[in-house]
Amino acid sequence: MIEFKGVNKWFDKLHVLNQINLMIPKGEVLVICGPSGSGKSTLIRCINKLEPIQKGEIIVNEMSVHKPTTNLTKLRAEIGFIFQQFHLYPHMTALQNIMLAPVNVKKITKVEAEKIARQKLERVGLSEKADSYPAQLSGGQQQRVAIARGLAMSPEIMLFDEPTSALDPEMIGEVLDVMVSLALEGITMCVVTHEMGFAKKVADRVLFMDEGKIIETGKPTDFFDNPKTERAADFISKILTH
Amino acid sequence: MLDNFNFRIIFEYLPLFLNGLKFTFLISLVALFLALITGIIACACRISSIKVLKYPVIAYIEIIRSTPLLVQIYFLYFGLPTLGIRVPEIQTGIIALMLNSGAYIAEIIRAGINSVDQGQIEAGLSSGLNYVQRMRFIILPQALGVTVPPLLGQAIVLVKDTSLLSLISVVELTRSGQTMTSERFMPSEAFLTVAFFYMCIYFCLKALADWSQRKLIFREAY
Amino acid sequence: MMAFYFSRLVEIFPFFLTGLWMTTKVAFISLITCTLIGFILGMIRASNNVLLKRLVGIYVAFARGTPFVVQIFIVFFIFPEWGLQLEAFPAALLAMAIMGSAFVCEIVASGINSIPKGQWESAASSGLSKMQQLRLVILPQSMKVIVPPLVGQYVLLIKDTSVVSVIGVMELTRVGWVTVVRIPEGLMVFALVGVLYFSISYPLILLSNYLERRMAI
Repeated sequence: MIEFKGVNKWFDKLHVLNQINLMIPKGEVLVICGPSGSGKSTLIRCINKLEPIQKGEIIVNEMSVHKPTTNLTKLRAEIGFIFQQFHLYPHMTALQNIMLAPVNVKKITKVEAEKIARQKLERVGLSEKADSYPAQLSGGQQQRVAIARGLAMSPEIMLFDEPTSALDPEMIGEVLDVMVSLALEGITMCVVTHEMGFAKKVADRVLFMDEGKIIETGKPTDFFDNPKTERAADFISKILTH
Repeated sequence: MLDNFNFRIIFEYLPLFLNGLKFTFLISLVALFLALITGIIACACRISSIKVLKYPVIAYIEIIRSTPLLVQIYFLYFGLPTLGIRVPEIQTGIIALMLNSGAYIAEIIRAGINSVDQGQIEAGLSSGLNYVQRMRFIILPQALGVTVPPLLGQAIVLVKDTSLLSLISVVELTRSGQTMTSERFMPSEAFLTVAFFYMCIYFCLKALADWSQRKLIFREAY
Repeated sequence: MMAFYFSRLVEIFPFFLTGLWMTTKVAFISLITCTLIGFILGMIRASNNVLLKRLVGIYVAFARGTPFVVQIFIVFFIFPEWGLQLEAFPAALLAMAIMGSAFVCEIVASGINSIPKGQWESAASSGLSKMQQLRLVILPQSMKVIVPPLVGQYVLLIKDTSVVSVIGVMELTRVGWVTVVRIPEGLMVFALVGVLYFSISYPLILLSNYLERRMAI
């Protein structure tokens, strides 16, 4: 489904992705963790070409992402992306936020798009907020609307870039609950997060990165309880004490 | 200080001032409208990736920004006739104001577009919206909110700039002060009245700009 | 004919240089006076003294709300009636100071106001006097907000010196105006005037762009 073949990326001289080889099969829930600056966000931002790469190849659904001839619109329509800072459009209501892409990219009718949008809002438990503007919603609610916005394109893959890091602690749960239910539905998910509870509950695999390299991968229970490398052990002890 | 201030003479000359005020209004409105169109087109060229559009417009904006408006007015006023183009002073003046404000407006709009958070563009990209769609649905609606207050600020500048047209003998508010001074040597009455009218326009536009500043700006809520 | 006028223009080029020198002089003196007066007024405008604040506010509204050419006429024609008779050059400098310091005042005041209240409070808590709070804690931080628009304002002030030509100060624009009567090649004469203005204001524009980018980080 998603395949990294020898991917390398530099920001000027900084080697942010160092020879990444990775295979994510359909339906897998992959959690990516690692210290800040380890390249984990960059890794998933490359999957829908928010970032260019300098060497290697990424293949999503048989499409080579960074080939100039690839139909990016089609590719991106199949991938939902959830940002740390939500990035809802502040001048549109929740409903309009969700309807924008289906109407303009998938070219479905407004009536149909609204039906889908309301379904997705219900899915994230926010039916009553359809006509609210982002500024009227709490952080947790905004992030759930953002997830609904991603789901409205019925993607096969959902990417989450630290979806709960910008949230107050009491709001993290509501977002994670939505993500857990998605994982159980069988959508392919790549989640950059430090939420161990989430990883243990639904992740098929945990991937630990440091300094642009994949250091360790494994089942969540193995990884958290018996990390193979010292760096991973060190990292886990740090997030545990917090 | 103002013990000799003669109010009667001001009333006598009131029609002259009102006529000047009328033309200041008209010139400002027409020039502002034309400058908006110029600014929008110039900005579109400025941010495009087509070099033959982009670089001439950069040159235009930089030339306007680094030379005084008065020199631009004289350039057209004394220069157009040498090219064999003879237009009334008022039109020369409006063209000068249009070109001058147009360049500043182009930069204001560009700043508005640049002020839209990069994450907004990424969100649009991620859901597969193309360039035109991102501009139309995401960037421009948000940029509009940020550009309205500085655009009104530019309108204030433009109204004040029309006063320079008096120097190429266009009849407007400042010119009526000069006319009155030359007929009766009463500069206090003449120019303080002129200043008063400009202040009135300024306060209206300023109030509007402040109001729009509070009302129109959408902020991304974190 | 063009070539003839061009060679005439080359002949009298030194005249343009004296104009450029006068423009530079007016601009330089004005920038200094405007900055000094503007900073003082700006600090008053951002202070808690309601009466002084109001007075400065009225002054600023007048200076920003009326065209500069009208202000020059007021200084040159009306001040004498009030007992202040000035030659063209000092009148020009006075008018520039009146107008420019109001704009600097607003930039300084909004710079000071941009500093969160907590900074005043923490400075006060460590026992600094009001003046010390401003000088040691608030102003150094607000310079970051003040300097880029201030340099932008300098560019505008340099260009505004062209308007003092109306009371006969022999600066660059006046030189162009006098020349065009004798050499009727308006495009050429004022293009030259424009180029000379460009040579002083463009470096400042670049500086202001640079500062804006640097301070934004």
